[in-house]
Amino acid sequence: MRLVVADDSMLLREGLARLLADAGFDVVGKAEDAPGLLRRVELTRPDVAIVDIKMPPTHTDEGIAAAQEIRRAHPKVGVLVLSQYLESRYAMRLLQEAPDKVGYLLKDRVSDIAVLADALKRIDEGECVIDPTIVSRLIKRPREEGPLDELTEREREVLGLMAEGRSNRAVCQALFLSPKTVEANVRQIFRKLGLQQSPDDHRRVLAVLAYLGGTGGRREG
Amino acid sequence: MLFRLALWPAGLALGAFSLAIARDEPASSFAGSSLGGAVALLGAGWALLACGLVFWGRRRGNAVGPLLVAAGCAWFLAEWDNPGVDSAAAFTIGLVLFAACPPVAAWAMLAYPGGRLGLREERAAVAIALAGAVLVLGLLPALFYDPATFGCVQCPDNLLLVSDDPGLVDDLNRVGFHLGLAWSLLLIAVAAWRVARSSRTRRRVVAPVVIAGCAYLGLVVATFTTSLERGFVGSGELERRLWLGQGAALAVLAATVAWGLLRARRTRSSLARLVVELGESAPPGGLRDGLAEALGDAELELAYPVGEDRFADGRGRPIDLALLDGRAATPLVREGRPVAFILHRADLLDNPELIEEVASAARLALENERLQAEARAQLEDLRSSRARIIEAGDAERRRLERDLHDGAQQRLVGLSLGLRLLRSRLGADEDGRLAARLDDAEAELGRAIAELRQLAHGIHPAVLSDEGLAAAVEALAEEAPVRIVDLPQERFSPAVETAAYLVVAEPAKTGAVRVSAQRLDGALVVDVEAEAEPDGLLDLKDRVGALDGRLEVERATAGGVRIRAEIPCG
Repeated sequence: MRLVVADDSMLLREGLARLLADAGFDVVGKAEDAPGLLRRVELTRPDVAIVDIKMPPTHTDEGIAAAQEIRRAHPKVGVLVLSQYLESRYAMRLLQEAPDKVGYLLKDRVSDIAVLADALKRIDEGECVIDPTIVSRLIKRPREEGPLDELTEREREVLGLMAEGRSNRAVCQALFLSPKTVEANVRQIFRKLGLQQSPDDHRRVLAVLAYLGGTGGRREG
Repeated sequence: MLFRLALWPAGLALGAFSLAIARDEPASSFAGSSLGGAVALLGAGWALLACGLVFWGRRRGNAVGPLLVAAGCAWFLAEWDNPGVDSAAAFTIGLVLFAACPPVAAWAMLAYPGGRLGLREERAAVAIALAGAVLVLGLLPALFYDPATFGCVQCPDNLLLVSDDPGLVDDLNRVGFHLGLAWSLLLIAVAAWRVARSSRTRRRVVAPVVIAGCAYLGLVVATFTTSLERGFVGSGELERRLWLGQGAALAVLAATVAWGLLRARRTRSSLARLVVELGESAPPGGLRDGLAEALGDAELELAYPVGEDRFADGRGRPIDLALLDGRAATPLVREGRPVAFILHRADLLDNPELIEEVASAARLALENERLQAEARAQLEDLRSSRARIIEAGDAERRRLERDLHDGAQQRLVGLSLGLRLLRSRLGADEDGRLAARLDDAEAELGRAIAELRQLAHGIHPAVLSDEGLAAAVEALAEEAPVRIVDLPQERFSPAVETAAYLVVAEPAKTGAVRVSAQRLDGALVVDVEAEAEPDGLLDLKDRVGALDGRLEVERATAGGVRIRAEIPCG
């Protein structure tokens, strides 16, 4: 798989590139800021671009804008955003602005090559990826009693995997369940939470994340 | 004081005495024996005397009062060079001072209302007129005038007579009347010039007095003109009518001055009423509103000196006297130092008596409000320095958060990458213990990174500066028991957002909270119902107070509290 890595810290950029190369990925370009990244992507047309969320000049969320720009200009290139921010808000914004073939992982994942490789593979296959830490933080977040309490343990697990961006097939593999069981679980979850079933995985991720972290369960009428 | 009181009966007596002289020898007098003449003589003289004495009493140290008194006396003295007079001294005084009234009345007119002649031209004109009237027309001919030579057998002696020279007397008189014509016209011109170059407000004050004065001087000119050839003022029908007109003009002059006094008194009483109304419970800035109304300038401001070259209004807000924008600043001085400046329409306080009225009527209230303004300005200083300290602290926290994220955390992540690379280089044939220790180190590093992230987030949540209050509170709700009822999506200033965020985040540390925030009348109002009382209530109060806001805490049942913060947000 061909990759471009963008991070303004040379230590991280070079380390990540070497790690990925060691793991068998083909790092075809490196960049230290958003314009450089966009040029690299334009030139090399990688499968996935790995982008730090904080880049010059403001070091806040340039990575999200760059991801959106790449997805708009090169629909075949997926984007994995690495971030320090635990808040689901940034991940949601990424999903809203660039709905598919994107991923949002916490930066400390980079040394866990297995997680990184899995995420890159899933993005390349067209899924979206949300960091499990963010999802579990959302599921576990303090809240009043509500529909979430009605979910069975299994349904909660399925909900978490859906929120991480996994397809039904991936959920089957992860939980060693039959496709039928998973589909039944998904239907139950949507019914209990009062969400509309969506045929499209990305919208499903967004709906679930919005439910968990957004306005759905918390605001009073 | 006694002297002034004594002048009242003296003036009355002077009038009566002069009338007696005129009645004694009606043919040689202006007043004659007619009722109209008596009325003109007494009316004009007494009016000037009375008005002058009252003015003198009201405005100590103002020359206008004494000058009007002098003019009234001089008006009477013109009758004293009458052959019918018994006393040689009175006759002589009459000879010298018969023409003294016009320059003295003109002096009073030009000095009105301040008491001083402001221009060099005015001073010169008055000096010339006095010299012309008293020296050239009065004293010089008197030195050579023997009444007997001129055929007046009943006249008393001229006490000043040096030598009898009728030809010289005639010549001197003719020169004197020519000169008199010139200085009378000069006085009229100077007065007109003065009115012309006054501002509108000042013109309203001085114009009536100047018009009456100039009418009088005009009649004097006419009288002098009829006397040019003759060398003395005749007592024919024309002269008599002109003299009656002069009397009327002088009476009007006295009346206009009296009217000015009356009006000033009205202003003073309205100012006094204002001060009384303000009383001790005057709201800050209330004096300004009152003065603005009393003086008729809605944009009037009061500026109090509150320190080295610094000024504040009644509410303590700073005022820059350099930025007057075409408005004037009039100092109200007390004991040699300005207690306040009135910033007003440029022509409003040209009338100096009004300033005195304002200063005396509002003195206590001004002093009171100045002290308040000073205290408020100090409070304002304190408040803004508190806001600056908090702002500096916040900026420091933001910087620290960024440093931790972009510096320490980046390095730790880089380090963990390095460990991972090292680990993969070890290969399967190496010592398994080393690999296990590397794994431990990596796990430890991972925990350090997570803790660092938490620490940085606690110092300052980046989402607050990036996306604002609503986003930050929603993010807070992912980790703390926060129930959101309502949050404004708009952005506020960083200081307001930080304060509002902490009003929610602090109580959320100790228990569940329910938050509702909205913009109400220029303030961000945050209502928090907290399960337990937060620890940092005082800090929260300081923070909200530094932004001019209020934080109210109400104990609810079961240890809970309701917190309401109102933070002005423009």
